[in-house]
Amino acid sequence: MITAFFYRALGAKLYWVVGLLLAAAILIPASNLLLPVGHTLRVPNYAVALMGKYLTYAMLALALDLVWGYVGILSLGHGAFFALGGYAMGMYLMRQIGSRGVYGNPDLPDFMVFLNWQELPWYWWGFDNFWFAMMMVMVVPGLLAFAFGWFAFRSRVTGVYLSIITQAMTFALMLAFFRNDMGFGGNNGLTDFREILGFSVQAPATRAGLFAATCVALAVSFVVCSAITKSKLGKIMISVRDAESRTRFIGYRPEYVKLFAFVVSAIIAGIAGALYVPQVGIINPGEFAPANSIEVVVWTAIGGRGTLVGPIIGAILVNYAKTWFTAAYPELWLFALGGLFVAVTLFLPKGIVGTIGDYFAGRRERKLVEASDTPPPDLPVMRPQNAESYRGETRPQPAE
Amino acid sequence: MLYVAPLWPAGHLSRKGGDHSFLCRIRTITVLAKRTACLISPLAGEMAGRPEGGAKERSPMSLFAGLLAFILLALAILPAHAQSVEDLVRQLPDGSFSDRGRVVQALAATGDARIAPLLESLAAGDLNVIEETGRIVTTSGRGDTVTATDALTGEEIGEVASAGVERIRVNNSLRRAVRTAVGQLTLMSPDAGTRMSAARAMFQAANPDNVELLDEAIAQEENPAVLQIMQEARAVAILRSDAEPAAFAEAVDVIVARGDRQALGILQAALSSADADVTPTIDAGISAIQRHLQLLDVGQNVWYGISLGAVLLLAAIGLAITFGVMGVINMAHGEMVMLGAYTTFVVQNMIRASFPELFAWSLAFALPAAFLVTGLIGIAIERGVIRWLYGRPLETLLATWGLSLIIQQAVRTTFGASNREVSNPFWMSGTFDFYGIAITWNRFWIVIFALVVFAGLLFVLKRTSLGLQMRAVTQNRRMASSMGIRTPWVDAMTFGLGSGIAGLAGVALSQIDNVSPNLGQGYIIDSFMVVVFGGVGNLWGTLVGAMTLGVLNKFLEPYAGAVLAKIFILVFIILFIQKRPRGLFALKGRAVDA
Amino acid sequence: MTVVTNSILYLSGVSVSFDGFRAINNLSLALDPGEMRAIIGPNGAGKTTMMDIITGKTRPDTGEVFFDGSVDLTRHDEADIANMGIGRKFQKPTVFESHSVEDNILLSLKGPRSILPTLFWRETQDAAKRIDDILGIVRLGDKRSALAANLSHGQKQWLEIGMLLAQDPKLLLVDEPVAGMTDAETEETARLLRDISQSHSVVVVEHDMHFVRELGVKVTCLHEGSVLSEGSLDHVSADPRVVEVYLGR
Repeated sequence: MITAFFYRALGAKLYWVVGLLLAAAILIPASNLLLPVGHTLRVPNYAVALMGKYLTYAMLALALDLVWGYVGILSLGHGAFFALGGYAMGMYLMRQIGSRGVYGNPDLPDFMVFLNWQELPWYWWGFDNFWFAMMMVMVVPGLLAFAFGWFAFRSRVTGVYLSIITQAMTFALMLAFFRNDMGFGGNNGLTDFREILGFSVQAPATRAGLFAATCVALAVSFVVCSAITKSKLGKIMISVRDAESRTRFIGYRPEYVKLFAFVVSAIIAGIAGALYVPQVGIINPGEFAPANSIEVVVWTAIGGRGTLVGPIIGAILVNYAKTWFTAAYPELWLFALGGLFVAVTLFLPKGIVGTIGDYFAGRRERKLVEASDTPPPDLPVMRPQNAESYRGETRPQPAE
Repeated sequence: MLYVAPLWPAGHLSRKGGDHSFLCRIRTITVLAKRTACLISPLAGEMAGRPEGGAKERSPMSLFAGLLAFILLALAILPAHAQSVEDLVRQLPDGSFSDRGRVVQALAATGDARIAPLLESLAAGDLNVIEETGRIVTTSGRGDTVTATDALTGEEIGEVASAGVERIRVNNSLRRAVRTAVGQLTLMSPDAGTRMSAARAMFQAANPDNVELLDEAIAQEENPAVLQIMQEARAVAILRSDAEPAAFAEAVDVIVARGDRQALGILQAALSSADADVTPTIDAGISAIQRHLQLLDVGQNVWYGISLGAVLLLAAIGLAITFGVMGVINMAHGEMVMLGAYTTFVVQNMIRASFPELFAWSLAFALPAAFLVTGLIGIAIERGVIRWLYGRPLETLLATWGLSLIIQQAVRTTFGASNREVSNPFWMSGTFDFYGIAITWNRFWIVIFALVVFAGLLFVLKRTSLGLQMRAVTQNRRMASSMGIRTPWVDAMTFGLGSGIAGLAGVALSQIDNVSPNLGQGYIIDSFMVVVFGGVGNLWGTLVGAMTLGVLNKFLEPYAGAVLAKIFILVFIILFIQKRPRGLFALKGRAVDA
Repeated sequence: MTVVTNSILYLSGVSVSFDGFRAINNLSLALDPGEMRAIIGPNGAGKTTMMDIITGKTRPDTGEVFFDGSVDLTRHDEADIANMGIGRKFQKPTVFESHSVEDNILLSLKGPRSILPTLFWRETQDAAKRIDDILGIVRLGDKRSALAANLSHGQKQWLEIGMLLAQDPKLLLVDEPVAGMTDAETEETARLLRDISQSHSVVVVEHDMHFVRELGVKVTCLHEGSVLSEGSLDHVSADPRVVEVYLGR
């Protein structure tokens, strides 16, 4: 059953993506570690960390796409799941510091000593153990998504309302994590990490290993998402996205479909966050900022939502542009990002991948048409629905 | 008074400005003369063999009494002329403590305003005499030389050798004399402000010795506000004394009537030292004050809540138009508010540069300017971006978020990233007291302004042809269009109106918040919460939503702290939306979620 | 609740109002198992609201709604009711536009509806055959891999009927099935519905009197949320009150 599930995911696109990621997982660390410094083909240390960061972002965008592109839930709070995964990893890394902190306290992280905490709060228990921490990386975002989704989807909060309350959720979490007495380092977050599984987080080999792990995690997430979207449930997800109430009338429960996708997506985002933290060396409440979550949306939109490859490409492109801009023209970056938001919604609603896909689909159709000599059907382009159809959602209309 | 007034006409005195010494002297002298006359007139009556100084035939004797009073009055004035204040002050170091006491009394009798601080320095032991010149000074600094200041005139004398300076010594009875003298000078000063501060000082001092003095002052006080403080000061003093229970109870009542935290502290202090027989009285007083304080707390919180609610209302009300009426998610709404605030900044700068005399009314110019600026930008946004996205709310959300980034960065580039100074006009600064609740004027005007904007918007929607067309278009676009309404025009106007109102909000918020490029971001989530909580498409819902969230927030704050209160509110709204997805004032109907 | 009736569908004294407007007013209706019923009525008569009540979309303010004798429909939601065997075709054809015709039918096929079984679902021979059959019945066999969005209006109507068939419900609620169809298609649809009613109970809401006549079944006329007249089409259309409602005074 499980094999069949994954078998369905197979396809040319999947081979390409997974193949590329695995190649990167092997070649980039190899070039970084094995080639001498200064060699033309050597990937420098900073680039490994940077690419690793991009790939965690790509994973986050992929997670968002699973809910937005396939179930129509525009979450403006996915950064929260990412950050929670990151905090779980950060807590493990903090515990690994042990007594080597500034205060040399073997039982408490530095910031707790600084704030006069007497003992480790219960929610920090167990984070000494890597595998427990990794479990929490998935459980905590998953649980939050489950609890949030359980209430939101069952009471049929949809569309922009849902987007707004997801934004409120991450905003509330940000405020909470800024508080010192939450026990997560307040403003400064968690940082000054030393070791992960006994390897120094600063060492190039560890960095390369983390990069490879990120590639593999992204590849696995991609396979899982492909398998889900190609299953019957995946078709139901699309049905829910396009005609939620119709799905209900043929006996499905859209709330559970959404809940499933939301939880899976949150777990992927959590793992991405966990991989992000050791590579950038810090996690702080700023990661919960609503603006971050919205930025993820634009990565996904630019790459092409509803295609699994799109968000990965979008995340890498936009973040590369961000790195370049903030170095070359820092004051122009927000103009560029803002312009991207506007341009992609107005001119590229299907994103890069979706638009290219349409182009090829169009060519295929034309060839078919030339061959069969029948009139072409309308191409399934995403046209703006007329204004009433949305307005009708919020406005009452006469009963019949 | 009749005799004195013509001699020193009031007009002449007041023209002398800040120098109160004459006026002061007159008042003190008059008081003394009156008392003398009171003492003398019955005596004079007896002397004339007429026990009742009859009203009818009072002329010879009362004339005599008046005359006597006048003579005494003149006598009283004369030494003041003969012996100037300066001379009296120079006599301070001489003689024994009791001699000094007499000089202090004489000084007090001059009624000179400069005397009070001088005497206070004396009591504090800060008064020195320069042996060489006999000048009375206060000194500062330590070491061989000290800086001397003339104690009477406040004139800086300069460095003097500390060996040549001797301190004027005081003892307890002299201190008492000084206190009485100062009390007389200040409590009976003709200036209500001086009397008020003297009474306040006595309230703080809470010295049983002041009771008599206060009694005297209370007897002749006419200003009700000062009188009240004096009575409270007297009550505090009595609570410190071992007065009989009746007087004690009376004093407790006076303190209870004051009803603030200080009053509570006074009674609690009194409780610890009180006799058993008055304890219940004080206890009752304490609980009465506590009840009153609780009520005040509630009132104060309600006000804070209303004030926060008004801010939320202002920020959200434009959104209620664009989101509630048009169904457009405008994430750049906060930036419209921010632009309104910056417009205020620009308008104030222009006025300051060109018409400084109009500065107090700068906000009146800023309001239409902000409305126009943000309204026009809003129309441009609607025409340029939003109209292509009707029917795609999520895309609208993203595009307007992009616009908000662009606007923020544009403002940052133009005006810099730091806060800009927007001044409060005079009528928006300060505080007033409303039955014990402190209300700042700027918050007060913002509440009024929010309500006015709300009413204006209701009027526009319900009573103008634009409002009618707006409602028609939102209810049935095709029908409206076929009836000849230019729907694109109405869309643009509606969006412009919503944005313009955001600009108005910006003018108001510039008065209480930092004007920085991030101003808008702080309000956008709150505004959406208000609109969603209140119920989309319902202006009254927005009003009720804003006020409810404002008051709720302020009631949570004392228990949870500001941040946690905000988190609670967010969680509350998240849960509330689950329960009532369409807000407080939800619209029902078959087609609502079709 | 004890067995109330032996009707497949039983409505008694149902009322519902929206913001003071009474969409359904003390409506009572009973449908025998295997019966096909046509519902007519002017705009605003409450036809669609009645369907909303039966399918669980709208809760009645008062009144009883029973399915299959004893199931109280007011206690269940849309998905439950659909799974009990009530299928609905909407007034405006609603198909899953970004799925192929085949997938539309596939999703409607009777079978488990919960998360895990659908996640690990594998297409079986039976299912494939059933899809072929249904596509044959609704004449969309040559369109099976076309996107539903690209179908014509009439084809979408048929696809939706096909989806109803795939659900294999006990009771079908069909709202204006022939709107936008040519006369030939209308007659075809009428024949199809008559076929279906051999083995199912059907409620058809329709304006098209020609079509109702084609069906040749008992007719209920609704007006202002309650039953105005009931009987054969001839009987109903001869009813002076029905004439008045349709033609005005």
